[in-house]
Amino acid sequence: MDASSHLSVVLDLPPAQWHRAAHHGLPLSDFLSHVLVFLHAHIAANAENSLAVFGAFPGSSTLLYSSADPVPEHLPIHPNSYPPFAALDHAVNRRIHAHLDALDDSSADPSALIAAITKALCYVNRLSLSPAANTNPSAERDPSVLPDPRLLVLSVSPDLATSYIPIMNSVFSAQKLKVTIDVCQVFGPDTVFLQQAAHLTGGSYIHLERRDALLQYLIMAFLPSPAIRNVIAVPTQDKVDFRAACFCHKNIVDVGFVCSVCLSIFCQPVPVCSTCRTKFPIKTLQRLNQSRPPLPSTPNGPGATTPRSNPGTPRIGPGGTNGTAVARSVSTSATTAASGELPHSSTIGLGTPNGNGNVGRSLSMGTPVTNTSPNGTAR
Amino acid sequence: MPSLLRQTEQDKKNTPHSLLPFLQSQSQNTLTRLYQRPSSCLSIFRLLAPLERQIVMNLLWLESAIAASTMAAWVQRDGRKLYEESLANLSYLHILPNSAAKLALNFTFKTSLRQALTGGGISGSFGVPAEKDDKQPGPDIEALDSFALERWETILHYMVSSGTGQNPTKPSQGVLFLLQRSELMNSFYGGPLQITSAGFQFLLHSPHAQLWDLLLQYLHLAEERQMDLVEVLGFLFMLSTMDLGREYSIENLSTTQKAMLEDLRDYGLIWQRRPNSRRFSPTRLGTTLTSSSPPLPTTTGVGSGPKEGFIVLETNYRVYAYTDNPLQTAVLNLFVSLKYRFPNLVVGMITRDSVKKALMNGITADQIISYLITHAHPQMRKNNPLLPVTVQDQIRLWELEKNRLKSSEGYLYTSFTSQADYELVLNYAKQLDVILWENTGKRCFFGSLEGHSRIKEFIERRTQNPNS
Amino acid sequence: MRAIKGVLLVCDPAVKQILLSMNEKQSFIIEDLDDHHLVIKADEEYRVRRELETELEKNTYSLD
Repeated sequence: MDASSHLSVVLDLPPAQWHRAAHHGLPLSDFLSHVLVFLHAHIAANAENSLAVFGAFPGSSTLLYSSADPVPEHLPIHPNSYPPFAALDHAVNRRIHAHLDALDDSSADPSALIAAITKALCYVNRLSLSPAANTNPSAERDPSVLPDPRLLVLSVSPDLATSYIPIMNSVFSAQKLKVTIDVCQVFGPDTVFLQQAAHLTGGSYIHLERRDALLQYLIMAFLPSPAIRNVIAVPTQDKVDFRAACFCHKNIVDVGFVCSVCLSIFCQPVPVCSTCRTKFPIKTLQRLNQSRPPLPSTPNGPGATTPRSNPGTPRIGPGGTNGTAVARSVSTSATTAASGELPHSSTIGLGTPNGNGNVGRSLSMGTPVTNTSPNGTAR
Repeated sequence: MPSLLRQTEQDKKNTPHSLLPFLQSQSQNTLTRLYQRPSSCLSIFRLLAPLERQIVMNLLWLESAIAASTMAAWVQRDGRKLYEESLANLSYLHILPNSAAKLALNFTFKTSLRQALTGGGISGSFGVPAEKDDKQPGPDIEALDSFALERWETILHYMVSSGTGQNPTKPSQGVLFLLQRSELMNSFYGGPLQITSAGFQFLLHSPHAQLWDLLLQYLHLAEERQMDLVEVLGFLFMLSTMDLGREYSIENLSTTQKAMLEDLRDYGLIWQRRPNSRRFSPTRLGTTLTSSSPPLPTTTGVGSGPKEGFIVLETNYRVYAYTDNPLQTAVLNLFVSLKYRFPNLVVGMITRDSVKKALMNGITADQIISYLITHAHPQMRKNNPLLPVTVQDQIRLWELEKNRLKSSEGYLYTSFTSQADYELVLNYAKQLDVILWENTGKRCFFGSLEGHSRIKEFIERRTQNPNS
Repeated sequence: MRAIKGVLLVCDPAVKQILLSMNEKQSFIIEDLDDHHLVIKADEEYRVRRELETELEKNTYSLD
């Protein structure tokens, strides 16, 4: 029989947002019943398929269900349902209600979606480590232990500019763990960051258009494992908004300035990188400031107008272009790809000017700068 | 030969479950009746290949048929062939009726699988749990496991030690009959049952495959006994969706299913306190029927030894087996010449004679090697390739040695009068595809037995009217 | 034209030589086709196989 697969699901459950969604024809109860049937389908496919469900509430996140949990003894069995399904429904419903009841109504915290995503990734990491740890603690992660783990984020929250860095960090860990992140924006506007997360990990992003067909969307787009997606394509976005948020003011920027050492992004030229403390030559700063398009909304950062040079650190670079550089292609869209063609994930990256799957790399690749490592030697 | 090895593992993944051909051979009527049970639909759904499952899922919640071209538009170019095959397989099972224009699931299957996923309906096909009995609590999982293990190993042990002069515990009459029917064992001239070459091969299979081998035989037998296959299959599938460690009531079972209880008890699939008990508990053998997890808790005997592998094979052909399980020792004895026996360790050698004996019994070199691989000790897993190449190659060479002479019966056609005559007959024989050997220089060829009558006819026709 | 009933043996040249020498004691070969192929009498096949087996067995040695 075929190999099992793991699915982690993150449910975004801020009550305020769901209250709004209910007015648009998608109450939380309907949403949950669709999602639960989808989760049943995942367990039904293979008895060894594992599942973990995480909930993101305002200001907190929690594990709602894990297939590793023992089935509660007292849970009655119905002759018409498969016992694992009943255990899943019971656990998810009970814990969501317990959490929602415990919530303070006046709480205005945004949904802890990132915390839930991070927990989900930690869970996948633990799964992939535990069997190897039993036999050989030094062993590398064995891909056969946990084939193609996936993470599905069902989000209703709008983008939060402060969450850019944590999301990107999650994306990088997901890439390292070979986790595919799928995203479904169930309600509300498109989210730029989750779109990027899906794109960068080879997942699928869907903005739900017909709320009554949620289950069909879920099954067609998110149920197939990566191996199946090679045969039956899943819908993916044909436009990816690659914009990033700057590290200094958490604004989403069209044109940013990238530290050539640590790839931090700033909305304006800075004399010292706030992340890695690299100092940039004054000449570069002046040149960059001149070539800058007018950005009236950008507030001035501290020290932005008093650039200092640092002659003590030698820098090497072709053409004498050192220090921060304009990342010209931060915002791109892949409209050239997949128009009128089959929608599938591999075409998305191909149409972009940078062609890399990695945001950090694509930013620096657009610039004619040699990376200089912090100790001053050229790589 | 790591590449060879990977190939066989690949094959294992791609071959459909052994039950599916049996289901495909059933009539549409039988299958439709089977599909009325949500638990059966769920189990069959599990047995399908991953792509077939996805196709079923994509169609499951659609109310009306969709155009086949709409669905095909999602298929990547490289996957066309696989997709077409999957559609064909589904249509053999009558899950997805074959149609060029529209795709829609079999209505019964669709309704039942929907019920299985949502937990609706009134069929009770997932088993009616028994009332809790506080005076006599049901067995715990450990007790069930040891019961299943004991039953299953009794069967295997009986097979492996037949003809060795030992007198192991006999399984029940029903099991003996099934073993004989399936030709895993045979009685020569009314003597005691002897294991056959198919039986030897059977012993080296994984427990999961063994179980299904026997159950398939059971299904064939049920067919002959005029039992209702839908009831039999439905019961097996119901077992596979039950919760381990719970007691179920037999009230809702049909007469056929009640009659099956005894057989299933003999195979170790269910546990009952007394033969006439009103309740039963499925064992792990039963609940893992449609999953790929090991159906037995540990086959390494009681308590001792690591759970999975126990065999260490060295380059000097020595085998160290960390086991105290008589069954495993007996299976090893099929192709290893055993030297020493300690409380938890058996030492032996793979020799030409021991392998030859195995080959004579009908076991193949590949089966020996795959047995050694699946039961290799965790320490061995560090090695790459897992088994010493010398030993693997030597076992294969010994097998080749046995096949130095190949023979086939037939006719040698010779002494043709002219080259044209020879070529005429030769071409005819080539069309029939019966030529085993030919030589134009000597103007003769060797044809198989099957082709002889037609060649003879052809020549006679030629001699009667040579100009036609 | 003639058709002769027999059994086609496919073997390696070494085995063929052994078969040829066995043939000198008690004839069973109908036609010697080439290095790898022989046609023998159908009813002799079982005996030939058994005798070949004992002959080959003489050429193998084991430590125990």
